[in-house]
Amino acid sequence: MTALITLKGVNKYYGDYHALRDIDLTINTGEFFSLLGPSGCGKTTLLRTIAGLEDVSDGVVMIGGKDMRGVSANLRPTNMVFQSYAIFPHLSVAENVAFGLRKRADLTKDDKARMVDDALAMVGLSGYGKRASHALSGGQRQRVALARALILKPKVLLLDEPLSALDKKMREQMQVELIRLQRHVGITFILVTHDQEEALVMSDRIAVMFEGEIGQLADPETLYRRPNSRRVAEFIGKMNFLRADVLQVGDTIDVDVAGLGRVSVNAEQAPMALHKGAAVAGVRPETLAILFEGETTQRKLIDGVVDEVVYYGDMTYYDVLIAGVDQPLNIAMKNLIGRPVLDVGTTTKVVWDERSLVILA
Amino acid sequence: MSLRIYAIAYLVFLYAPIVLLPIFAFNDATIIAFPLAGFTTDWFGELMTNRSLHTAVKNSLFIAVMTAILCTLLGICAARAGAMYRFPVKAGIMGFIMLPLVLPEIIVAVSLLVVVVQIFDMGLSNWTIIAAHVLICTPFCIAILNGAFQNLDPSIEEAAMDLGESRFSAFRLVTLPLVMPGIISSMLIAFTISLDEFIIAFFLSGTSQTMPVYIWGLMRFPASLPVVMALGTILVALSIILLTIAELLRRRGMARAGVKDKGGFL
Amino acid sequence: MFNKLTSSESGRGLLLISPPFFYALLLMAFPLGAIILFSFWTQNFMDVDTTFTLNNYRQIIDQPIYGALLQRSLFVSAVVTVVTVLLAFPIAYFVSFHVRPDRKSLWLFLITIPFWTSYLIRVFLWKVILGYNGVINTGLLNIGLIDEPLTFILYNINAVIITLAHAFAPFAILPIFVALEKIDRSLLEASRDLGENKVMTFFRVTLPLAMPGVVAAVLIVFIPTIGDYVTPELMGGAGGKLIANMIQTQFLALNNAPLGAALAVVAMLSVTAISLVFILLNRRWLRGRS
Repeated sequence: MTALITLKGVNKYYGDYHALRDIDLTINTGEFFSLLGPSGCGKTTLLRTIAGLEDVSDGVVMIGGKDMRGVSANLRPTNMVFQSYAIFPHLSVAENVAFGLRKRADLTKDDKARMVDDALAMVGLSGYGKRASHALSGGQRQRVALARALILKPKVLLLDEPLSALDKKMREQMQVELIRLQRHVGITFILVTHDQEEALVMSDRIAVMFEGEIGQLADPETLYRRPNSRRVAEFIGKMNFLRADVLQVGDTIDVDVAGLGRVSVNAEQAPMALHKGAAVAGVRPETLAILFEGETTQRKLIDGVVDEVVYYGDMTYYDVLIAGVDQPLNIAMKNLIGRPVLDVGTTTKVVWDERSLVILA
Repeated sequence: MSLRIYAIAYLVFLYAPIVLLPIFAFNDATIIAFPLAGFTTDWFGELMTNRSLHTAVKNSLFIAVMTAILCTLLGICAARAGAMYRFPVKAGIMGFIMLPLVLPEIIVAVSLLVVVVQIFDMGLSNWTIIAAHVLICTPFCIAILNGAFQNLDPSIEEAAMDLGESRFSAFRLVTLPLVMPGIISSMLIAFTISLDEFIIAFFLSGTSQTMPVYIWGLMRFPASLPVVMALGTILVALSIILLTIAELLRRRGMARAGVKDKGGFL
Repeated sequence: MFNKLTSSESGRGLLLISPPFFYALLLMAFPLGAIILFSFWTQNFMDVDTTFTLNNYRQIIDQPIYGALLQRSLFVSAVVTVVTVLLAFPIAYFVSFHVRPDRKSLWLFLITIPFWTSYLIRVFLWKVILGYNGVINTGLLNIGLIDEPLTFILYNINAVIITLAHAFAPFAILPIFVALEKIDRSLLEASRDLGENKVMTFFRVTLPLAMPGVVAAVLIVFIPTIGDYVTPELMGGAGGKLIANMIQTQFLALNNAPLGAALAVVAMLSVTAISLVFILLNRRWLRGRS
């Protein structure tokens, strides 16, 4: 794992507005890296400082070991796919893709033509070269933007919310294609998105950002199972939160969780430093279960009453009220054959396991 | 639809005077009145031989071309700044530049006369007229070029820079081709306005006249009225041709950028 | 310092806007300032006496001709504005609401063409149309509709008003059209859905929303017509001369630039005052209704 991009102490101000706060970040060669966060968290600003389209107010941006201070966007080894794709409407598809090759005096016309064909084939647009670019669909435009950037063989490909303008089916298709493309080309991809599912699907590592700072930087599984704060936990996936009281901190942690009682959890289930006293226990809906009639289990059970039922086709989400807790627990159940869909008001038993708890401060 | 009848009647009202021009330019009579007297091209012939008219035309063309070029350059600066940048007091500055639209031309003429003659004691020349024409035409150019610049995706220049071009060559290779129809439109419109402009030219022409000023002089003499008609016919025909070209270019520019036409240069 | 200016977005924007801005400043603000300055001086033939004096303004107030001229000019401009805007509104409405979207530019183009042709020639043509031996008179005489030529249509205020209404028509149509285009059509549908008929929908929804365009049209017609010189000169006759003609006379014929400047200042101030009053009244009217 070699570090390709290093950011140290990066700050960015727009007037008085502190858009990026002391960002320290390392991105490795060949990685699919995502910047994830809600609107306004600074992820696009961060991407643009790497691209060179924005200057940093403070701090160092290094790419390939070189300090990028004073290096303008057109001289950096990065290329970007813009959110609007920014396809040049007055040029054909082939002319768009070949745009960055204009200054390459070492290439002949035939070389360039061949490179364009290869690039178009790579994104699945073979034969589209002569088409007028303003007549393309959104998905096709995005592929042209990709081809146009990748033909220049950058060290890093930057993607600014590339899938947000596409409809759901197209988006899912493109997610798979982007992963395939990255593996095929082998370079570093940095993706900016506000869609946490997208980030989880595509990334090797994700930096979750809030208000100009990095909340947590980890691989998708760690982020999902061991969020280091309530904010990250709420942003990624769905999470039930229960009041908890930390009684003892050591190799194991003793906690009294509202509704569930006293439990002992491993230290790794508390990603942040904990002190005795008030805390929050998080539990994901799919780690809870409803015990249907005729089923048995070795695990712990709690009585509850069904408060709300939402049917999704492949899954049913139940809100279940348990004693000692005001908010219902959200539980995700697969709709297996033979499994009924319960009615509101049914008394039921909830299956739970303390190994799925995350204790947050 | 009674509104449609009104609209047609309104158009007749708008075009009525202009339609008379060719009618009486070819009419074989010195009095502009009905009934018509017969066909002749004598009046156009007189135009061909008139020396002072030729000088006036040359002056007008020179002034109009210079005005068109200068206006368009200023217009490009203003339209690009307006569409692509944020800066302090932007609304105020843009409003100020558009102010000449509502200034009575006589005020512009008179104030420039005072400044040039009384304060700087310079002679009046074609350049004073050009300066004044640029002032009043620039707002029109800006209105047209605003449309052209606002149709652009703001990220395409950044994309060009990201792909290796400098700021200026990004403008040259990507933005300029896309706003070119707007630029030509702007030049044609400024050219037409300058060519037809009378009040300022009247106040600020020194020894050399422009065409409208020359026509004004002709109007004193009843005998030369048909010649005025002939000249007017040519001028109107020319204006209409130029404007049609400008409009076709504007539409082509929008098609190139892939934008739907919402009507007019506004 | 130049680098700092070009490195930030606002710096580059300011740099880019400075040529047109300073040009406008130089050729508009500076000469206007000069005019104001001049109005406080006096001129004898070619010499200008720069001692500060209010004599020019006193002259304007004392001698009734100037006041009368200004009044007449403001009156004519007001009438032209009302006529033009009233005539323009239906056609702007027609193009916005009754024309297919792909035909709209064509209509606008047709409407604006006459505007781009020589103003001088158009005024002259109206003279030809309205004259004693002009098109209307000889035409009507020929048909037998009248026995004698009509005299009330030329060389007086009526002629001036007709000509100016024609000349400024597109100035009025375009702002109203733009405002009408911006109205969300679903608002009108909502009004109908809530029980209003077409006429009331127009007065309660369309017209108030189109007001900014109407205000713009009023100003774009009213302000420049004060400065119009050509039409009164050619069409106004003795009783139809307006303030612009007087300004021209003072400057060119009588070599009294300071008086001309003072007249120009007074004219501009009156126009600005009236415009401001109009805008304020309009704001209050709109606020009062909602």
